[in-house]
Amino acid sequence: MKKKIISVLLSGMMAVGMMAGCGNAEKDNTQTGQDQTTGDEAGSGDQGTTQASSDDAIANLIAATTDPVELTLWCSETEGYQTVMAELVEEFKAQYPDVEFNITIGAESEANCKDDVLADVESAGDLFVFPDDQLLDLVNAGALQSVEATYTYDPTATNTPATVEAASIDGKLYAYPMTASNGYFLFYNKNYLSEEDVQSWDSLLAAAQAQGKTVGMEVSGAWFMYGFFAGAGLEMRLGDDGKNICNWNAEDTKFTGASVAQAITDICKNPAMKNCVNEDAQAFALNGEMIADVNGTWATNAFVEAYGDGYAAAKLPTFTVDGEQVQMGSFAGYKFLGVNAYSKNPGWAMLLAEFLTNEESQTKIALATGEGPSNIVAASSKEIAEAPALAALSEQAEFADLQRVGDNYWAPAATLGQSLVEGNYSDVQKLLDDAVAGITQ
Amino acid sequence: MKKVIRPVLRHLFLAFLAFVWLIPIVWLFVTSLSSYKGINTMHFFPDKWSIDNYVQLFTRPDTVANFPAWFKNSFIIGVFTCMISVVFVLMVSYAFSCMRFASRKKLMSFYIILDMFPGVLSMIAIYFVMKLLGLTNSIFGLIVIYSAGSGLGYLICKGFFDTIPLSLRESAKLEGASEYTIFTKIVIPLSKPMIVYTVINAFLAPWMDFVMARLMIRSKDPVNWTVAMGLFNLVQRTLVGDYFSVFCAGGIIVAIPISVLFLIMQRFYVEGITGGAVKG
Amino acid sequence: MKKERESFLRNFIEAFTKGDIFTKLSILIFGTGYVARGQYVKAVILQIVQVLFFVFTFGFSLNYMSKLGTLGTIQREEIFDPKTLSKVVNDYDNSLMILLCGVIGIIFIFLYILLSLSNVKACYELQCLKKDGKHINTFSEDLKDLFNHKFHITLLTLPSIGILLIKVIPILFMICIAFTNYDGDHQPPTYLFTWVGLENFKTLFTSTSTVTFGYAFVRILLWTLIWAFFATFSTFYGGVLLAKFINDKKTKFKKLWRSLFVITIAIPQFVTLLLVGKMFSDYGIINSICNKIGLVGFLQDIGLVSKGLSFIPFLSKPGWANVMVLLINLWVGIPFQMLSATGILMNIPEDQLESAKIDGATERQIFRKITMPYVLFITGPSLVTAFIANINNFNVIYLLTNDYVTTNMSYANSNAKEVDLLITWLFTLTNDYSNYKMACVIGICVFVISASLTLLTFTRMIAGNREEEFQ
Repeated sequence: MKKKIISVLLSGMMAVGMMAGCGNAEKDNTQTGQDQTTGDEAGSGDQGTTQASSDDAIANLIAATTDPVELTLWCSETEGYQTVMAELVEEFKAQYPDVEFNITIGAESEANCKDDVLADVESAGDLFVFPDDQLLDLVNAGALQSVEATYTYDPTATNTPATVEAASIDGKLYAYPMTASNGYFLFYNKNYLSEEDVQSWDSLLAAAQAQGKTVGMEVSGAWFMYGFFAGAGLEMRLGDDGKNICNWNAEDTKFTGASVAQAITDICKNPAMKNCVNEDAQAFALNGEMIADVNGTWATNAFVEAYGDGYAAAKLPTFTVDGEQVQMGSFAGYKFLGVNAYSKNPGWAMLLAEFLTNEESQTKIALATGEGPSNIVAASSKEIAEAPALAALSEQAEFADLQRVGDNYWAPAATLGQSLVEGNYSDVQKLLDDAVAGITQ
Repeated sequence: MKKVIRPVLRHLFLAFLAFVWLIPIVWLFVTSLSSYKGINTMHFFPDKWSIDNYVQLFTRPDTVANFPAWFKNSFIIGVFTCMISVVFVLMVSYAFSCMRFASRKKLMSFYIILDMFPGVLSMIAIYFVMKLLGLTNSIFGLIVIYSAGSGLGYLICKGFFDTIPLSLRESAKLEGASEYTIFTKIVIPLSKPMIVYTVINAFLAPWMDFVMARLMIRSKDPVNWTVAMGLFNLVQRTLVGDYFSVFCAGGIIVAIPISVLFLIMQRFYVEGITGGAVKG
Repeated sequence: MKKERESFLRNFIEAFTKGDIFTKLSILIFGTGYVARGQYVKAVILQIVQVLFFVFTFGFSLNYMSKLGTLGTIQREEIFDPKTLSKVVNDYDNSLMILLCGVIGIIFIFLYILLSLSNVKACYELQCLKKDGKHINTFSEDLKDLFNHKFHITLLTLPSIGILLIKVIPILFMICIAFTNYDGDHQPPTYLFTWVGLENFKTLFTSTSTVTFGYAFVRILLWTLIWAFFATFSTFYGGVLLAKFINDKKTKFKKLWRSLFVITIAIPQFVTLLLVGKMFSDYGIINSICNKIGLVGFLQDIGLVSKGLSFIPFLSKPGWANVMVLLINLWVGIPFQMLSATGILMNIPEDQLESAKIDGATERQIFRKITMPYVLFITGPSLVTAFIANINNFNVIYLLTNDYVTTNMSYANSNAKEVDLLITWLFTLTNDYSNYKMACVIGICVFVISASLTLLTFTRMIAGNREEEFQ
């Protein structure tokens, strides 16, 4: 509630500010992200004026900049990321020869980004790359500078709508979409499994069992387990009041929560099924024991190495609920580049963020890291679209949901997952009721 | 017959215990010599041996690992923390043990109670205090954090001072020595075991602490990290698959300065603990 | 304690009423009393201290202290100007800084009052000295005194400043947080938090189906105490027995054996613990071996491992994990205890042992009746310290059970798990969930438990005259 009032207040002030500062191409910024700015690609009649005003703004910024611009960029610690970011930053500097930049690139584990930023926002990086599940907490803490205006391109038009939606809250864009490949899918070894085998969990597990091999998935992980319930049409999302909405215990839906739970337990009971985390799965794949695993692009290199010429990837399999085949859902995952609301150089930070997420940069990042771009044009380029992992992801995309969940989801859901994996519960409905109570608290 | 078997059994039993205790250490060592970078979950010994992990550690600093810099930082912090802590502990202990002044006992109780507050909790507050002083993100700040509170750990050292015969100090006083002279010329030379004990404990802090250091050092450039921070980072989920054996190699290298310190000071260490423990 | 405070105040009142104009004035202007008696340097120093205090208070901390009542009212707002790519931010309040600087300001005022009171007393003493025509110290004599009769002041000043800085201030600050609503929804600097009274303490003892802090707290507290008890005594007895075994006359190569165990200390704890954690993980090396030799199947048959698992859940199931952390803690703790026990055993009075032997006591009797009581007598106090340290043993639990997932919804709803100690629980609350208010409440509970335990045992030692016994 409080936050709503503030945003109304703020937009009111913005409006006043804009009237005073004479008409800009901006429209009312409480509207959806799509309306925010008319970018270069808008192609309408007023393109020239927008371009001109953007250039003016940048010129103003350059004129106002006298001291060297200090910026810190936090991004993934992997070698590939660090190298390509360093190159891009050099290109960015070259664009503004009159300005002296001092840009530091920091190695930050993306999973810890939120924790590190929130410990002390004021001393966090000016820009940081973070996965979409942290967006809500970062916005809640006021750590993100919303994208009020754009200057060199329009992220809302060039990136896929799903990505833009994921980066927005209440229609306001809070970060620059960078990759759209942070979801999960199935890696498999085609020397052991055919394309038909990987269509359903039943055939997949049967084939693996027959060959004495195993299949992995972190079923007890709240993030992965979501796919089963979502696939069966059950709901789990963040409501407007900041609490989760969840009907996993429903008894009046087409597939009841209890039958989905039973389906999960059935899958895990198969001796070929291994409930294991990423690092264990990689080790198993490498020693030849595990021939398929539900995982994400971060593990691509490990599986390429493990499976060699048998390396392949596919969308998630279907699973059996009440005798019917149901396609597994999933969380779609994205990575965003956020600008710190407490940055001392918000203007330059925003320009750098735009530069690092434009089509050209996204392509370079994708090629260097194997992650899929969120930019529509970049994503459809042949080289990128044909990578098996990314192809599998885009196949899964239509069954994937935007990840918008409150903090209370994770612990109870993980606990539910662990119970289902072990299958040692007595009353499945009570188990689900308890989990839902925890998730929606 | 019995005379032969019993000693053999005794040594066999000890050997068994030592074996149990050494398994993890041996695993650490052999894994550090593995050419496979991830965790080997199938075999105890690596399939292929190589010293590449050590080479990588020292000669190929990359975006997540810069062991030479970490080692240097930890070493600097360790040395300074040692010096300050030893001085502080000795000073506080002498004041509490050998001097008599108003509200001495109250202060002693107060210090003991202060030490009971869980450190993990006050971390965030310490961080902001340091930020007010402009000491975050620096080696100097970490030295302050590790050593400034060391006066609270006076108890064992004071117990040791309590056992120094009063007559020694009395006779010195009769000869006109000031408290300062007694402290520096009589008490300190006698308290070698205590100094050693404090030195070891203080020196270890920066090699062991990863929680506080991670909060204090905000820099994301590995050059500024400590050994504990850096090594801990290597076994986080995203990196463990590529760096586990490097982590093991790092663990082995870190053991070297600590072992050396232990070997030199082991004799005193034993005396130090027990000497103080007589009085607590 | 009460008496001392009373006498401190009474002394002051006496000094103030009997003091002359300069002594009386020195409560306002620190230096006057010294100037009147000719101690100019001292006067200047104290005057500088006083001025610094006023500069600090009025220039810095007063601003924060005045807002302590509300912890700030102006929330951060910003206006971004798209034309210049710059933004204007209002002059917002930062609740955290208000509380922190407010606490610091109050501490300084408290210290200032103490200083001014004792200052009046000191001035009065000087006045008396002068009246009686006695010698008044010159500055260099005062300095000399700081290294002789007042040496404790010199000794304690620096360490106390350090303690004030990183112990007292943070602790007071965190205690205050327990009475506010500082959590994920009220995070400074962007959002404000404020006082909520005893609300959080109520939450801690509430148990409903969704708010399960009460449920989790009681159980975690119990486990913390059980852990601390077993961890302390198991390593203690283990260490003494091992030391005894190695030091026995019949054991050869004593140094070698001792060194083998000491090696484990040399590698930093977090390295060995992470390593052991990986060894015992669900698909780790130990489980691989157990699978190969059929131990997993055997345990399943006798019902210790549920049929659904293909591994032994060393560190991933309640019960198993609780026992395992205690066992692994033995591995960590025994070498330390062995080292210190070695020293103690060497000092056991030989004559007692000899006479016992002559009386025909068996070795076991000697150990039970002589050795153990002696060791306990000496290490008793350090056992209490070890107990407290184990209550706060963050490393062992955190590093070993990082991947543990609870299957008990009541734990999950308050972000706890069965193997958590209070200390790891509050770390999770702050680090992962920014729930500082509850973490501070739990922290205060830990503090109260540890402090009362310590006070019970230590007051006897400090308060009594035992410390002079040996001198």
